[in-house]
Amino acid sequence: MNFTRFAKKIEGLQYLADKMELSGSRVRRYLMQSTFCTRPDILQTDFDILQKALDILSVPGSMPEVMQLRHLFTQVHDIQGTLHALKEQHILDEVELFEIKYFAALCTDFHKVCGLLGFHYENLHDLQEVQRLLDPHGAGTVSFYLYDCYSQSLSRARELATSIDPDREPEKWNSIQDRIREEELAVREMLSTKLSGMYPLLRDNFDRIAHIEIWFAKANLAKRYGMVRPCIAVNGPDDAVLCIENMINPQIADTLGTINKEFQPVSVTLKNGPCLLTGANMSGKTVVLKTLALIQTLTQFSFFVPAQSASIPLVKDVFLVIGDKQDQYRGLSSFAAEMLQLDRIMADIRQGIRLLLLVDEPARTTNPAEGAAILCALVEFLEHYNTMSLISTHYGDLGLSCRKLRVSGFNPVQVKGRLDPLMMNEYMDYSLTEDKEGSVPMEALRIARLLGVDDAFIESAQRYVK
Amino acid sequence: MPFVDQIVRYGSLSVVGLGKNTGKTECLRYVMGRLFDMHKIVAVTSIGVDGEGVDQVTFTPKPRIYLEKGMYFTTVSSFYEKKRFLAEICHIEDQATVLGKMVTARALERGKMVLAGPSETVSLQQWVRQIPERFPVDVCLVDGAISRLSPASPVVTRSMILATGAAYSANMRTLVERTRYVYDTVKLPAASPGLTEKLKNVTKGIRVITSQGKINDPGVGSALLSDQVRQVLETCGSRLYVPGVVSNVLLKALGERKEVGETELYVRDFSRIFAEPRVFYTFIRRGGRIFQLFTTHLLAICVNPVSPEGFRLNSAELVENIQRQVDVPVYDIKRIR
Repeated sequence: MNFTRFAKKIEGLQYLADKMELSGSRVRRYLMQSTFCTRPDILQTDFDILQKALDILSVPGSMPEVMQLRHLFTQVHDIQGTLHALKEQHILDEVELFEIKYFAALCTDFHKVCGLLGFHYENLHDLQEVQRLLDPHGAGTVSFYLYDCYSQSLSRARELATSIDPDREPEKWNSIQDRIREEELAVREMLSTKLSGMYPLLRDNFDRIAHIEIWFAKANLAKRYGMVRPCIAVNGPDDAVLCIENMINPQIADTLGTINKEFQPVSVTLKNGPCLLTGANMSGKTVVLKTLALIQTLTQFSFFVPAQSASIPLVKDVFLVIGDKQDQYRGLSSFAAEMLQLDRIMADIRQGIRLLLLVDEPARTTNPAEGAAILCALVEFLEHYNTMSLISTHYGDLGLSCRKLRVSGFNPVQVKGRLDPLMMNEYMDYSLTEDKEGSVPMEALRIARLLGVDDAFIESAQRYVK
Repeated sequence: MPFVDQIVRYGSLSVVGLGKNTGKTECLRYVMGRLFDMHKIVAVTSIGVDGEGVDQVTFTPKPRIYLEKGMYFTTVSSFYEKKRFLAEICHIEDQATVLGKMVTARALERGKMVLAGPSETVSLQQWVRQIPERFPVDVCLVDGAISRLSPASPVVTRSMILATGAAYSANMRTLVERTRYVYDTVKLPAASPGLTEKLKNVTKGIRVITSQGKINDPGVGSALLSDQVRQVLETCGSRLYVPGVVSNVLLKALGERKEVGETELYVRDFSRIFAEPRVFYTFIRRGGRIFQLFTTHLLAICVNPVSPEGFRLNSAELVENIQRQVDVPVYDIKRIR
C-alpha cells in the first residue's frame, strides 16, 4: 500500500505532504508511490539517513552547500519519457540526447555537493561513460549536437552541404540534406544503443536524486515541527507497547498557532488488546486518535514523528474509523458505513493481519442500548485477537475489563462568565490518565451551560438525567 | 539606420506587426542582419508560431527568417527536430507545451527555422531575463504580434518597432489613421512607480484606486460585458485599473460619463486596449486619461507599401504621411537596405 492511499485515510498525512518543500510533480510522484514499510531493518536504515540529513540541516556552516543542493533539485528535468525510450531501445532524438547529457552532468554536481555535505547515502552511479559518449571532445559544456566525430560519412555529407547554395541548387541541396538526416539517424541509433546499456545506471540515479530530495524535505519537516526519530518497539506477540510522549498534531498546532494558541502535548501508551478512551465533550479524544494514527503511519513511511519521544511497534496496516463518513452517494447512512468498515477491518484481523485500530465512538449514531452492545462486542473481539486498539466512547458502566484511559478533563473553576468555545483549551487538561473505574464523566450539561445554552433548557435536561 | 544602435543599448527588442503581412518578418530580418554585421550576438524567439514558409492566412510566400551562425534561438522541440542546419542544443525548459519542450539552441551554421516561443507574458518575460544570464547574448529579439489571440505582451522587451503596411489597410488614409492610433496608445504615459508596484501583480478583475492611493476590489468581473460595465460605472470611482482587456464597451461607457474629465484609467500596457479609435479619441478628447503600468521605447515604425494581393501604395507618400503624424522615424522596409 502506498502513500497516496494512506493520505486518503489518515487525516493530517496529506497536510504534512503538502508542507514538504519538493521541487515539483516529479518528486511528489516518488513520495506518493512510496510504500508502507513493515520491516524494522529497512526503517532503521531509513532513520539513519534521515537523521544524517537533519544533522546536516542543523549545522549552520553547511548552509551554502545546502542551498546549492536545493538549487540542484530544481534543475532536474523530468526525463521519465526519455528513460522509457532508452529502456524500450527506441532511437533517441537530439533533444532527448541532450536531456541525458544534461542529466549526467547534474549527477556529477549532485555527487560533489553530497560529498561536501558528508551525505553518503543514495550514492549516485558514476556516469563518466555517458559523459564521454555525449561530450566526445571533453569540452565540459552541457550543450549538445550530433558531433562530426561520431561518423566520418556524416561529417563528409555536412562538408559537402556547405558548398551548395540552397537557393541556386535547391534539388541538390535537398538531396544532400536528406543524406545528412540519414547519417544523423545512424549516429543517433549508435548512441541510443550504447546508452541503452547504461539505462539501469541512469534510471537508478534518476530515482536516487528524487530520494535525496525527499530525505532533505523530510528532514526540513522534522526541523520545522520538532519531530524525533521513533524507536521501533520489539515485536513480541505479548509485549508490544506503543508509547508516545508529548505528541502534537502538526495540522491542529498550525491552526492554533494562527490564533496565538499552543497545542497541549499529550502522552499515550497502548498495549496489545483494546483500550477504551473516555472524556468529556470537547476534550480532544478524536485528536488523540487522529494523532496516534498519524504517528504510526509517519513511522512506517520513514518520517520522524511529532512527539518528544516515541516507541512504535510495526503493524501491517492502520485504521482510523471516525464514523462521520456518510456514504450518501452509495446510499449508506453513517451507521451503515461505519458498520461495514468495521466489518472489513475485523475480517482482516481474523486473517491474522497485525494492525493498529483507532475508532471514534463506534455505534454512536444508533440507540444507546444497542450501541453499547455493539461496543462491547467489538471490545470482546479485539481482546480475543489481542489487537492493539484505542476506542473512544461516551458509553459508561459497561462492565468491560479492558484497559481504560480518560482525558483528565475540564476545569470549570477557572471559567469566568460565559465560555468561549475558542477558549476551551485554556480550561482543558488534555492529558490522559489510567482509569480503573468504568464510569464516564458526566460533564455534557455543565459544558453546555458554560457555553451559554439556555438555562431553562439545561434545567429541563437535568431532570431527565438518571 | 540609427535605430539599430539603440536596440543594442536597450538589449531587447520586439518587432510588432499591426497585422499579417505588414512586413514584420522583413523588418526583423533587417534588424538581425544589421546586428550580425555589427558582430552582436542575438537571441531570437517568437510569440506563438511564426516564420512559416507560407503565410498561413493568405497563402502567399513569406520570407522566412534566416538564423545566422552563432545566433541563439528558442523554439518548441517539435519544430527544432525539423531543422535542416547544424545547431547545438544549449538549454531545455522542463515544462512541456502542446508542441513539446522549449528548446534554446545556438546555430552552428546559417539556416532557416520555424520559431514558436513562449506564448504568454510571464514565460516571455522570463525568456528575456534569463537568456542574457545564461548565454553571452547582446540583444534579445522577440517576433511579436498584437492580437486578442496572443496573451503575451510585446512590452516585455525594452524597445519596440512597429510594422504596418498596405496589408493592414489598402486605403492610405485609413492606414495612416490606424497607425497613428496604435502610436498614440503606445505613447500613453506611464503610471507612477508606486502605483505600478502595487498593481503589477493584479492580473484579474478590476481594481478601484481611492484618492488615498488604496487599492480596492469592487468584485466586478472583467468588464467585458455590458452588464459588468454598468456595474463598474455604478460602483467604481473615477480611478480604475483594468488588468485585462479594455473593451470597446467599457471605454465607450467611461467616455460618455459626465465625470469623464476626472477619469483615470490604468492598463497593463498599450496592447491590452481593444477599442475602436473613435471611442479612444472621444475618451481622451473629453478629458479622460489613460496610464500604462508597463511602457516600452518605440524606436521606429516600418511600413510595407505592398499588400499580399499585390496592391501597392506610393512608398514616399505613405512614409511622409505617417511621419507627419508621429514623433519616431518611419521607414519603408523594402527600401531601407
